[in-house]
Amino acid sequence: MTPKNALSPAGEAVGQPWLRDLAGLPGSAFLDALDRFPVGVLILDKSRRIRFMNRRLESLTGFLRQEAYGLPCGHVLRSAACVRGCPAAAGGDSPSLDTDLITRGRRKVPVRLSVLEMDAGPGQVFHLEMVEDISRLKEAEKRLAAPYGTGALLGRSREMERLLGLIPVLAQSDAPVLITGETGSGKDLVAEALHNASPRSREPFLRVNVSPMPEPLIESELFGHKQGSYPWADSDKPGAFTAAGRGTVYLAEIGDLPEPQQAKLLGLMDRGLAIPVGGSEGVKVAARILVATNRDPEELVRQGRLREDLLRRLGAMRLHLPALRERQGDVEFLLRHFLGTYAAALHKEVTGYAPKALRLLLDYPWPGNVRELKNVVEYAVMVCSGKLVLPVHLPQHVAQHAARPAAPRPAKTPGRSRRSAP
Amino acid sequence: MSARTLLVPLLRDNVAPRFDLAVELLLVGLDEEHQETGRQNVMLAHSSADELCDFILRQGVSAVIVGGITEEYYHYLRWKRVEVLDGVMGPADLAVTLFAQGRLAPGDILFARSDGHAA
Repeated sequence: MTPKNALSPAGEAVGQPWLRDLAGLPGSAFLDALDRFPVGVLILDKSRRIRFMNRRLESLTGFLRQEAYGLPCGHVLRSAACVRGCPAAAGGDSPSLDTDLITRGRRKVPVRLSVLEMDAGPGQVFHLEMVEDISRLKEAEKRLAAPYGTGALLGRSREMERLLGLIPVLAQSDAPVLITGETGSGKDLVAEALHNASPRSREPFLRVNVSPMPEPLIESELFGHKQGSYPWADSDKPGAFTAAGRGTVYLAEIGDLPEPQQAKLLGLMDRGLAIPVGGSEGVKVAARILVATNRDPEELVRQGRLREDLLRRLGAMRLHLPALRERQGDVEFLLRHFLGTYAAALHKEVTGYAPKALRLLLDYPWPGNVRELKNVVEYAVMVCSGKLVLPVHLPQHVAQHAARPAAPRPAKTPGRSRRSAP
Repeated sequence: MSARTLLVPLLRDNVAPRFDLAVELLLVGLDEEHQETGRQNVMLAHSSADELCDFILRQGVSAVIVGGITEEYYHYLRWKRVEVLDGVMGPADLAVTLFAQGRLAPGDILFARSDGHAA
């Protein structure tokens, strides 16, 4: 097989004696294998100039190997380690170190760098540098360490058990998933869980919330733009569908996507191509699409806010998050779970709820769902100075709820009639 | 064109690859004719992108030449009407000369590429 890199400047490395025969493999086969490696790889010469860069690193840094060839590594990789003390300069193999780099697209990405020294004969010292994107790992670490983090999807109710069982199954598919559920019920967490359980988990997960954006910005964010297509567009910019690579793009509120962009999204799903604003040629899209709404999607169609054909394409697989009040037993479980979390985070000795306070909390309808429950528990733990949360420690609107005449329960939950995957 | 002050974060003699990690700065004054009126090297006590932005605004810098800069600081400086030529790689002196001649663009690579034979 003729390696693609043989045609690029980086392919010149193939001609070097040390690469002509490597453990019985021709050098080109070695570089071809590195090209398919799932982490970024650089080969540096003795003066730490780039001789080879694999495809994964091209996509991570935004530089093509042709551009990077022959340049000092630190100026292309732009990692903090390059500035603070190049790990390859010390000589020998260096232990892996966690650092970050700035991409051509001006994004800071946490990476793990490992450098190996290769002695390829007299005076022929090369360095093999491996660069692994550890954004997902760092996010997970942050979530686990941060008491205020989003945490994982939690629940012991039958409804949640069913949902948690479906996630790993749906994660294996490339088809879009429509996630429905009231505000605060955890749609973002489900989207992340779908990505994390999928074979795409090492690729980017990009969440785009279109609600606060003006229409031109939405189009640019999703599909990218060409230089000069807007007054502020001083360079080409890839959209989320391109930037996600083989990862996942999550549109947080599909009901807020303007009609022209809905049509463009439909076109993207049909042809697998994203056409940037101001461009005429499409860019191939390999990302999976997840969308969410806190409204009834059929009602959005009836109101003319969502195209019916788009709903048919997006809604073939659906996941519905039940409202907290519908999750039998979960309120008490979550109250105890978050009490422990916040007591530890805030260094309090709160161990439980007084019966009256617990009754008030269990009777409360939780219109803001888990997000609201978390906030209420955090407030109660902060205010409580003893071991038990009393009614006086609860926010006024929760404590006074029992005194109010019964409010009508919210209408039928969106998408409830079709809560399952096909 | 009015007189301008140009700032180049440095890593040794080159344009620094990271705005947020730069501790050495080159300040260059240019007059209306794009002639250099003065140069000053400044050492910061420590690297900080926030403090560097403050420094740039306090010094009335009108253009910055740098390698990597994150979106947040890039847009902040642009919003403050500071021209940012990022993605520039190469010797700082050459970058300043080309800038003064109006021939420097974001993303320019000014390093000579070595021929690849390290031995």
